[in-house]
Amino acid sequence: MPEAPFEPRIVAFLCRWCAGAGADLAGTSRIAYPSNAIPIRVNCSGRVEPEWVMEAFRSGADGVLIGGCHPGDCHYVSGNYKTRRRIYLLKKLLGELGIAPERVRLEWVSATEGAKFARVMKEFVVQLKELGPLSVGRDPLSVNRGPSSEHRESVVAERQRETRVGT
Amino acid sequence: MSASQPNTGLPQSTGYGPRTTDHGSRPKIAVYWTGGCGGCDVSFLELGPALLDVLSQIEIVFWPALVDTKRSDVEALAPRSIAATLVNGTLRTEENVEMVRLLREKSQLVVAFGACAYQGGVPGLANLSSREEILHRMSGNGFHPTPPPGGDAEDAPPELLAQAKSLSDEIVVDYVVPGCPPMPPLIGLLFDALLSGDLPAPGHVFAHDKALCEECPRTREDRVLTKVVRPHEMVPDPEVCLLDQGMICMGPVIRGGCGAACPKAGMPCTGCVGPTPNAGDPGLAMISALGSLVRAGEEGAASFAAEDKLLDALVDPLGTFYKYSLPAYVRGAGKRSDR
Repeated sequence: MPEAPFEPRIVAFLCRWCAGAGADLAGTSRIAYPSNAIPIRVNCSGRVEPEWVMEAFRSGADGVLIGGCHPGDCHYVSGNYKTRRRIYLLKKLLGELGIAPERVRLEWVSATEGAKFARVMKEFVVQLKELGPLSVGRDPLSVNRGPSSEHRESVVAERQRETRVGT
Repeated sequence: MSASQPNTGLPQSTGYGPRTTDHGSRPKIAVYWTGGCGGCDVSFLELGPALLDVLSQIEIVFWPALVDTKRSDVEALAPRSIAATLVNGTLRTEENVEMVRLLREKSQLVVAFGACAYQGGVPGLANLSSREEILHRMSGNGFHPTPPPGGDAEDAPPELLAQAKSLSDEIVVDYVVPGCPPMPPLIGLLFDALLSGDLPAPGHVFAHDKALCEECPRTREDRVLTKVVRPHEMVPDPEVCLLDQGMICMGPVIRGGCGAACPKAGMPCTGCVGPTPNAGDPGLAMISALGSLVRAGEEGAASFAAEDKLLDALVDPLGTFYKYSLPAYVRGAGKRSDR
């Protein structure tokens, strides 16, 4: 059986007021676009934390799309500006980590731009197909490793084992 | 605690009970170094007079930096006969791993002592290069990991691990004393717990859970970052928050407990105590914080280019944010396919 062609997996964080509504419009307008993205609606693109982007990569995403309001249109005045600066820095970090910065894409999509949303999705899928799968595994950047969390359980387990042996 | 004690700025005597000469009843303590610089071993001296109180109540069974003990001495000990082993340094060679596994077996408690043992430390930045690249560079400089002339094969230096690791990558770690090197107040907390027997829950980090900013005496005024300045480029105002002045200070995401030693001295926090439990990954938390703080004029599309230029002055986010924690947060850097 021939190997199935690579289909990139995308996590799309879409703001509720603009990009999310734009994606809805693309759907209700019956505009065809690739179904590679898992959309996650957030109240504002400014709510998207860099940690979420990395968590998406850790969970097997090949690309992350963040959709927000056009400059000046943010429902919360400046959330999109904050996320733009964060994503700019995050891309610099990704470059140093050896992950192509193009795997993170920030787009301004208004509620009326269903066609733009579809175009962005098509472009992103093509781009990610060129980049190929991201082999990050579960592990590259992990939260709160270190003894404070992960090893607590194993320490407790060891203690319990010892207690049982002792008694 | 007598009033006649000189004010050294160091912690006062811990006031541990009468000194005993009965070595047999003292808890056995081991201190070991792996891929470290030796600074952690020296840091005990900073306890000042309190060190005498500590030493009078413990028995040192193994401490290569201080006393003449050999690996065979440790091997001869009964399992779990060492009360606590303090390990400093990153795990870099196969020998490091063998030794910490041996010490784990012989110890009731193992403490990651210092930033390297906790999260990989500065030597962990070597993980940006592969083992082969590192060895190539070393052999290019004339170093060959082979036995000395006429020596046995076992005299060769131990094999380098593929990656530098933190202590908890190999063995169960009970407690952490963070810092590069650990500060006297934090070391004091550890011995206080060890000697009183009032032990915290496993996994405890002997530092504050709140951010460094909480104990920093500097005042925040603007709460914006309008430029990025590196420490050698300016002499900061002694009163004002370093972030306000454009220095990339990790204070917002790093644990307090060190007494804000660096910010008090005009240097931005570089994060040696490790992130607060709430911050999680220090680099991503800092990106989040800086994204909120950066301003290049009025916010809006017209400022985007200026903001990017401002952020470009932060030349090395990875090295800045993960200076002490690369092995803990970034695995397999330097060998990913996208590179």
